Amino acid sequence: MTYTFEGYQRSDGTVGTRNHVGIVSSVICSSVVVREIAEHVPLAIPFVHANGCAQLGDDFQLTKNILVGVTKNPNLYGSLIVGLGCETNQVSGMLKSIPKTKPTKGIAIQELFGGKNTISEGVKAAEQWAEEAASETRKTYPLSAINVGIMTVDPDESSLHQTAPVIGKVVDRLIDNDVNVIMGMSKTLEPAGQILSKRAPNPKVKQDLHTLSEGMRRGRWEKVQDKTTGLHEWSEEETDLANLEARLTGTKSIDGLLDYGSYPEEQGLNLMRVPSNIVEALSGLASAGCAVVLMVSSRGVFTGSVALPSMTVAPQIEGDFEDELVDVAVTNNDADQQADQVVQKIIDICSGQESKLEELELGEFSISHSGTTY
Amino acid sequence: MKTFNGYRRKNGTIGVRNHVIVMNTTGELAGLTKKLANLVPGAVPVTHQTGQMQYPEDIQQIYRTLKGTAGHPNVSATLFIGMGQNDPAETIAEELQKEGHHVHALTVQKSKPISVVLNEGRQWLAEAVKRSHLEKKEKADVTELTIGLECGGSDAWSGVTANPSIGAFSDAIVADGGTSILAETPEAIGAEHILAKRSVSKEVGEQFLKIVDEYESRAQAIGEDVRSANPSPGNITGGLTTLEEKSLGCIKKGGTAPLEEVVPYSGKPEKKGFIFMDTPGYDVESVAGMAAGGAQIVLFSTGKGSPTGSPIVPVVKIGTNPKLYKNMPEHIDVNAGKILEGTHNINDIGMEIYDLVMEVANGELTASEKNNHQEFAIWRLAETM
Repeated sequence: MTYTFEGYQRSDGTVGTRNHVGIVSSVICSSVVVREIAEHVPLAIPFVHANGCAQLGDDFQLTKNILVGVTKNPNLYGSLIVGLGCETNQVSGMLKSIPKTKPTKGIAIQELFGGKNTISEGVKAAEQWAEEAASETRKTYPLSAINVGIMTVDPDESSLHQTAPVIGKVVDRLIDNDVNVIMGMSKTLEPAGQILSKRAPNPKVKQDLHTLSEGMRRGRWEKVQDKTTGLHEWSEEETDLANLEARLTGTKSIDGLLDYGSYPEEQGLNLMRVPSNIVEALSGLASAGCAVVLMVSSRGVFTGSVALPSMTVAPQIEGDFEDELVDVAVTNNDADQQADQVVQKIIDICSGQESKLEELELGEFSISHSGTTY
Repeated sequence: MKTFNGYRRKNGTIGVRNHVIVMNTTGELAGLTKKLANLVPGAVPVTHQTGQMQYPEDIQQIYRTLKGTAGHPNVSATLFIGMGQNDPAETIAEELQKEGHHVHALTVQKSKPISVVLNEGRQWLAEAVKRSHLEKKEKADVTELTIGLECGGSDAWSGVTANPSIGAFSDAIVADGGTSILAETPEAIGAEHILAKRSVSKEVGEQFLKIVDEYESRAQAIGEDVRSANPSPGNITGGLTTLEEKSLGCIKKGGTAPLEEVVPYSGKPEKKGFIFMDTPGYDVESVAGMAAGGAQIVLFSTGKGSPTGSPIVPVVKIGTNPKLYKNMPEHIDVNAGKILEGTHNINDIGMEIYDLVMEVANGELTASEKNNHQEFAIWRLAETM
């Protein structure tokens, strides 16, 4: 059987699970204007963040890549980029990097002589797209038309014993149905790089996964004299937990290892390096083209992403307490049956059912730093 | 002696605003914090994405910023939203309560439905807003004011008109016994020797040179050169050519008074007079640092026109050229471009700024406040883990 869902096809051929118009801030300085535009336009969602200026090299490139990636997300009918004018992350530079396959426009506060003018110009442009987007209807597409993101939140041993058998099967089923899966690889999964590398046919991916298992490397700049402080060797406990978490990735071959802020080149199962900050990780998955994200957690999670439906899978809490943040509560019952339930839930949510976090309107956006601001 | 009417806090400080704010301690709770603040008219959300899985140097800086913001003299009451066992919400709230601040920590838990959390938070906030309306203003003088000095979206006129006028103001308020804080360490690069010479002691001078040097090395450690990206694209179209030139203009905001003390990001000065705070040049992060360090008002010069403000302190915008004032009046409080038109000199504008600072201290709203600009961000030192 082929999985299908009801989605929106975009002018660039991709298929989304939601029908938004993105109002994207190029820099923190335009965030108030972006929010106001989004408040005035139906279907519009604001992408505001703390970055965009006084950034150097790779750190700046990362911010730009994530924002450009977000405009390509299939859940967006089109995107309005709103800048200030004098920032490092220039609107013109972003427009150059965004393919002209979907409605896109850029405006800036300084060019339009102030916030009020920018809001009215922005509302005008976004309203027109919102009207066009509102006339779109959901149609049936194979689930293989979308990328499904999966990431963990606060995984611990007891929760993984319950979630891993189920989610491992979910991933296998998705891959068997040609659905692309991007699995967040945060510091809790990195120590399992060694065993994951055995499933990677590509020698470069194999080597990169192996390197990740050697220890955690993260940039820090306060103690500039001591550059080795970035490497922290994994403890046995961390490695054991990671090997358990690795079971969430199923049994199929691992086709790619992506950096945060990049876009998958390979079909199939990709791992993507993400920070442990939930919102930053979700933004990375949204930027990589995911139309839905499954958060596999030890508990209810208090935030989703503005860009995409975020659903939570966590162990059933004992007693009759129902966690209002959890979309699917898993138990020790039959894993195959529960995997079917999770896949069905993914399909339902992709077809328009609201996830718990969407019902509560808890969605955020944020971009990681790989360097300090100046 | 210049005086104003402000809100006296139990720890002796005096505020020029009376905000009730809601803050998250960890990024995951930013959405919930905004949702809660939206339930209570008058409550302001102050959210961020830091505080989760970061190196100790960042954690320390974040908590200092959160505490400085929550216990700020312009803040009547703060509600912290935290979660989990190692969350700092309770500890920071207790420390601030001991100093007499009206602060409460609300911790979300697995077994506590969100509706209950929202209800508890809403009740506390509604009470806090009511309580803030009953607080009376009292007279205070300028020696109790600390003013932050910022520039953003600079052009070639910044160092000619607005920044020297801010410098004239800084000298005047310091002479009157008040305090001014200059910041933006990378924008002292190339001009650091001038400020170092003005230090009250050799130690303060060395401390200042050290933070400037460290800033440049910090960028070099990741293979970057601050001078390559600064001045920014907007600065360059505005006529600035090099970082040294930008810096020479930037430090003009500090006037000529002796440098009394160098404080870390979000650090509270112990001395009065002219102070330097180690912050990035990134405006919103820098303003948040000066505010957390106790500045009640921030002056912000701009050549290209920058609209940003702060959730807790009034930000006063000083335009560097007449064209900007004509084009973007909704964002500018003081037109230093009058110096270019020949109708005013630097000292005139300095005194105009001083008069406006006193009016703002008395409650007059600034352009950024009228336009609801409440941007907030904390300077990050290392990658998220």
